Amino acid sequence: MKRSLALLFFAAALSAEMPSIPSTAAAPDDALDPASTGWKTARAVSLALHRTPPLYATDAPAAREIDSVQVQLLRGASAVFVRLEWADPTRDEVSLPGQEKTWVTEKLVTPSEATDRFSDSVAVMIPAEPGADVYPSLQMGDRDRPVRIYFVSATRGAAVMEATGRGTTHRTGERFPARLGYAAGKWAATMQLQNLPAGAPLSFAVWNGSQQDRDGRKYFTVWYTTE
Amino acid sequence: MPLHQIAMVLDLNKCLGCQTCTMACKKLWTDGDGMDYMYWNNVETRPGQGYPRNWDRIGGGFENGMLRPSELPSKLDYGQTFEYNYEERLFQGGLQAMPQEETRNTPNWDEDVGALMAGENYYFYLPRLCNHCTNPACLAACPRNAIYKREEDGIVLVDQERCEGYRYCMRACPYKKIYYNELLGKAQKCIFCYPRIEQGDTTACSKQCPGRLRFVGFLDDESSAVHSLVKVHRVALGLFPEKGTDPNVFYVPPFNPPRRGNYGKSVLEDARMPLDYLVYLFGQEVIDVIRRLELELEKAQNGGVSDVLQLLIGRDAEVRYQIPKRDQLVQIGGIGKA
Ligand code: SF4
Ligand code: SF4
Repeated sequence: MKRSLALLFFAAALSAEMPSIPSTAAAPDDALDPASTGWKTARAVSLALHRTPPLYATDAPAAREIDSVQVQLLRGASAVFVRLEWADPTRDEVSLPGQEKTWVTEKLVTPSEATDRFSDSVAVMIPAEPGADVYPSLQMGDRDRPVRIYFVSATRGAAVMEATGRGTTHRTGERFPARLGYAAGKWAATMQLQNLPAGAPLSFAVWNGSQQDRDGRKYFTVWYTTE
Repeated sequence: MPLHQIAMVLDLNKCLGCQTCTMACKKLWTDGDGMDYMYWNNVETRPGQGYPRNWDRIGGGFENGMLRPSELPSKLDYGQTFEYNYEERLFQGGLQAMPQEETRNTPNWDEDVGALMAGENYYFYLPRLCNHCTNPACLAACPRNAIYKREEDGIVLVDQERCEGYRYCMRACPYKKIYYNELLGKAQKCIFCYPRIEQGDTTACSKQCPGRLRFVGFLDDESSAVHSLVKVHRVALGLFPEKGTDPNVFYVPPFNPPRRGNYGKSVLEDARMPLDYLVYLFGQEVIDVIRRLELELEKAQNGGVSDVLQLLIGRDAEVRYQIPKRDQLVQIGGIGKA
């Protein structure tokens, strides 16, 4: 059943009408700080978020509680900085490990505090092989068009993943500089990515922990290109 | 389909509810960080809420071949794991050892409560572990293919490297026998003591069971007790067969001791608990199983010898466990022939 969902998505063909994401040159040294003044002047674009369909026929479609994500790009000498900001009234973040210890038989251990909470997260997806004229599938790429994912979880931090289609996502073991902060009902995330040429495709995803988002249950954008 | 399938049969007529199995498992496998609330083996009083509470009523398994996942149980559904005020009780003159938080639910919350029938109380114990299903819903639900069923013995395991903690497996398992370690962000479950099985030894829960009610062996091994009880004598059934996962843990249904006034009457004539309840747990076939067992009982009571009842006594380990070491597995039948 889960495989049939693949039909709902598509490998988006390169389109000249695809809106582009403005990028501003000269990232300041503190570009990783979401509150850096560099971001105050960088041009921003608001991108519509879409909801993935339910994984199981018996699940109700998830509500669309977050409708857009604001994206900014700053170009540095050898890296691109992305800042993403979105409104999310619930801050779903777990500080691990818990401080409290409890006895389990003769041993003091840290308990799992919950079984049913999920973390807010955000990701940027780019084609792993830039320059191709057909974009990878939004569903984690295709066999011939691998994708690279910069993923940041509010609970577990940053990780680079690669995928060649749904169900193939794996961690590469690389980490990358990223920050995630929550204030006044909004998340702001900054990530330092590899250098991206002008016109490089990018797509974004947001997970809302309070809606039990994880994996393919998420908010996503279509492909956009850098200016 | 694995080449061989390990299986367990539990005779519910013999369970004492002592939780020795639960503790044997806990001490061996789940005393680490993030595992506090996990009981890969638990024993619950039936009728009762179960662990996690209401697991049998919330969904899971397959319906018309499609997964029908439940909601995720909360930590409170599994039961609190709390500290006691030992300091106060032992060293500061406290009167009672009490949990340090208000207790609202525990894994064995309604122990021995049971229910009433005809003004009398009835209950029995149901020891539960992962069923290492032939058609595991947990495995089918995992988008990362992190769950696999071992070729050599059918044991279902979670690849801790691949698991991303998405918990689709928890929603899908109709028995709620797969757990989430929040500290690691991984799903964890009963491993059927595979390192012991590989050595030809039985699981910790069965080894420690003072009731000697657990039989372990390969379902496709015609010389095993499990094969004999499940396939030949057909006196053991899986839980909730309609959930479609084809469990490999089987139960000899409980009769319960006679009530006042029904001595000498068969269970089907004068049931000691509502047969509907057994049908609910084990499906309609439980009635046939009870009939078969009663015939055996009758045989024994009339001075004959019942092979089934003799086997169910399970006096010695050799009678209960037939576990060839891994390198000797080739000598047994194979699933195709079972
Ligand atoms: S009992 Fe649940 S966890 Fe175990 S194999 Fe079956 S579906 Fe999976
Ligand atoms: S150890 Fe045996 S008798 Fe005791 S609760 Fe477990 S299954 Fe029942």
